[in-house]
Amino acid sequence: MRLALATGAFVILIIHGLVFYKQFFHDWERNQYAYFDQARGLAKTEVERASVTGRSPRIEQLIVTSFGETRVDRCETCHIAADDPRFANYAEPLKTHPYSTALGDYQKDGRWERRHKFEDFGCTVCHDGQGRGLEPGYSHGEDPFWPDPLLGYITQPGWRKEYLPALKNKIYLEANCAQCHTEEGFSGTATVERGRKLFFANNCFGCHRIEGLSDGTLAPDLSEAGKKYKIDYLWGKIDDPRASSPTSFMPKFNLPDEDKRALVVFLKSRKGRNFSETEIQRFRLHLTGGAELVQANVKPVDVRPGSERETGEKLVSDRSCTACHKLGDRDGGIAPDLSFEGLMRDNDWIFEHFRNPRSRVPDSVMPSFRYTDAEFHAMSADLDSLQSAPPIGAPAETFHALCERCHGEKGDGRGKIAIYLDPSPRDLTKAAFINSKPVERLLHSVRYGVPGTSMPVWGKVLDEQQARAVLEYVFATFTKEPRHDVKPHNVPESNPVPSSAGSIARGEATFVRRCSGCHGKKADGKGPNSIDLLPRPRNLRNSWFVNAVEDRRLFDSILYGVQGTAMPAWIDYGLTNDNVGDVINFIRSMNRKSKETTYASAN
Amino acid sequence: MGLNPRRDAGTDSDDRASRRRLLGWLSGVGLFGSGILSAFSNFVFIKPRATYGAPQRFTAGKPSDYPDGTRVALEPRRVCIVRDGNKLAAISTTCTHLGCIVGLSETGFACPCHGSRYDQDGTVTGGPAPKPLAWYKVSLAPNGELEIDKDVEVNPGTYLNV
Repeated sequence: MRLALATGAFVILIIHGLVFYKQFFHDWERNQYAYFDQARGLAKTEVERASVTGRSPRIEQLIVTSFGETRVDRCETCHIAADDPRFANYAEPLKTHPYSTALGDYQKDGRWERRHKFEDFGCTVCHDGQGRGLEPGYSHGEDPFWPDPLLGYITQPGWRKEYLPALKNKIYLEANCAQCHTEEGFSGTATVERGRKLFFANNCFGCHRIEGLSDGTLAPDLSEAGKKYKIDYLWGKIDDPRASSPTSFMPKFNLPDEDKRALVVFLKSRKGRNFSETEIQRFRLHLTGGAELVQANVKPVDVRPGSERETGEKLVSDRSCTACHKLGDRDGGIAPDLSFEGLMRDNDWIFEHFRNPRSRVPDSVMPSFRYTDAEFHAMSADLDSLQSAPPIGAPAETFHALCERCHGEKGDGRGKIAIYLDPSPRDLTKAAFINSKPVERLLHSVRYGVPGTSMPVWGKVLDEQQARAVLEYVFATFTKEPRHDVKPHNVPESNPVPSSAGSIARGEATFVRRCSGCHGKKADGKGPNSIDLLPRPRNLRNSWFVNAVEDRRLFDSILYGVQGTAMPAWIDYGLTNDNVGDVINFIRSMNRKSKETTYASAN
Repeated sequence: MGLNPRRDAGTDSDDRASRRRLLGWLSGVGLFGSGILSAFSNFVFIKPRATYGAPQRFTAGKPSDYPDGTRVALEPRRVCIVRDGNKLAAISTTCTHLGCIVGLSETGFACPCHGSRYDQDGTVTGGPAPKPLAWYKVSLAPNGELEIDKDVEVNPGTYLNV
């Protein structure tokens, strides 16, 4: 017992001693003593010597209030010689902060003068890091949870190994220069500017919003990317978007390292605030949403009459279209094949789709880019000129060449780009669906496309015989079950209930009660049950689709259900022809071309 | 071993007793030492090592920024830079009475709160002020700027020669 007590007492004493030592004898104190010794040795005059005599180590701190929240920078506690020009050739931490004309420093009477005095600016405004830290690991931000490690100097554990060499570079500091120096053409922020140009040249603006610069809505807002993300995250996201979030539909742009770095520096400079702009300027930016600035940043290309197709070709190849689309041998693997677009869509369709993709395919994920109509005309002219049909061989090869990208190798509707398409490609292995539809209807979908979806018009690529052959191939290979004759149901040819305000109101009541669980209150196909259903419930506000479907088919689908999907036969649940007629009037009323007629007829 | 006292009365009882005493002694030293250390640490921690006020030591431009005869109050620093020929000094502008900021006057310093008067060197000439204004240490930082250390008071009349 006594032995244990004695040992315990000594262990406690040793621990106490260690803690005491750590708390009262610091590296920074030794550093400062070393500095005082050196400075005394270097002193040439009495005055110089007097400035170090009698000084004892203490925490040196700069309190900076001019840049956002008050900063307490204690960096000079260790880097005590930062402002002492005699230590230019010493090793860190006792080293003079370099003077450089690039930082605005200038020489006066043979001495360097700083443009950014440490007392006014502190250290972390430019360098990041943890200003209050007194131990190198903490103050430099090596702790993986510290959001701003010393920019371009420190990499944190946990960052991907292969990125580390690219992330150590003084160039990243420009991101912090740009917190104040926002003027265009400023020599100190050339990389930020390059990044901004790349942001527009690579069409990032089409999806991403950055306050004051762009207003894309498809992808995360990057207005505060610099505040939220560290450079390794930004680099990784640009390098390989799906590495950290597998469901991301951002294309892989395969940029050279130089471009990636410029983009990272640019994004790191977006911190949602700007020290050089006034509140009123901020407010004005907030109001415009940056629309004007997009126009200013995307320099319109001069399209000369007569050379539209050539200009369009250049634009299509320069503007990263193939980051998503397939065109010739370049393939982004996200969006449909454009190699013979001219055969599938006409010039008008392409042009309007360029101006607003959702005006033609309501659930498309393609961004609306802000190019001029002249440029869109040129690009449409180019795509429209792609009219050489691919050689059509055996049905299996045709399926592989034309259908597989969306419908998948196994015909299960899970092609390479299927997850980016809404509505998703039909699962051709679902015999219940395929065999319940007459061949003529399937053939129609192939040859004339399905309006409002990504299924294009194959009529000019495949003649009727070829299309039939492909369908036969699909039946034999994917659907497998033998087809039987499809008996048409007894449904009215056209809606017997005339459209009136009363009918629409009754239809809406029925819709809300019976249909909204899957098709959603807004009839957009996103009801609460929709996430469990495959294929997804139809978006009934897709006017292109709804207007192309005749009443007969709507009656058929509602009364007798859609086999192979979750749509039940409502005739079994007590809906009559009149009820369904009301529902159809309601659905049609939402998809009228002009809003006014809808309201007028509804009221 | 404490369970069976009879065994302790054996032949090696002296050895055991001295070992016991030694161990007791060692435990005492250990615990007492830790006690001293922790008490000492606690006393040291009472005074903060750094506070968040404005730094007490700061630079205030080049000597050449202050021509001969300058008397200029640096308002936020609460210090007045005085230049007389090649001699420079820094005089506090905090009134020694109740801490108001004294202003410069023809005759020296004047406090707006309760009318304390000081002459050019900060010596009290009137009013309720109990003490003369403090003079702070002025030195030349390595980068050629004046460095004023408000932590170090010097005797009135101590100048820096430049």
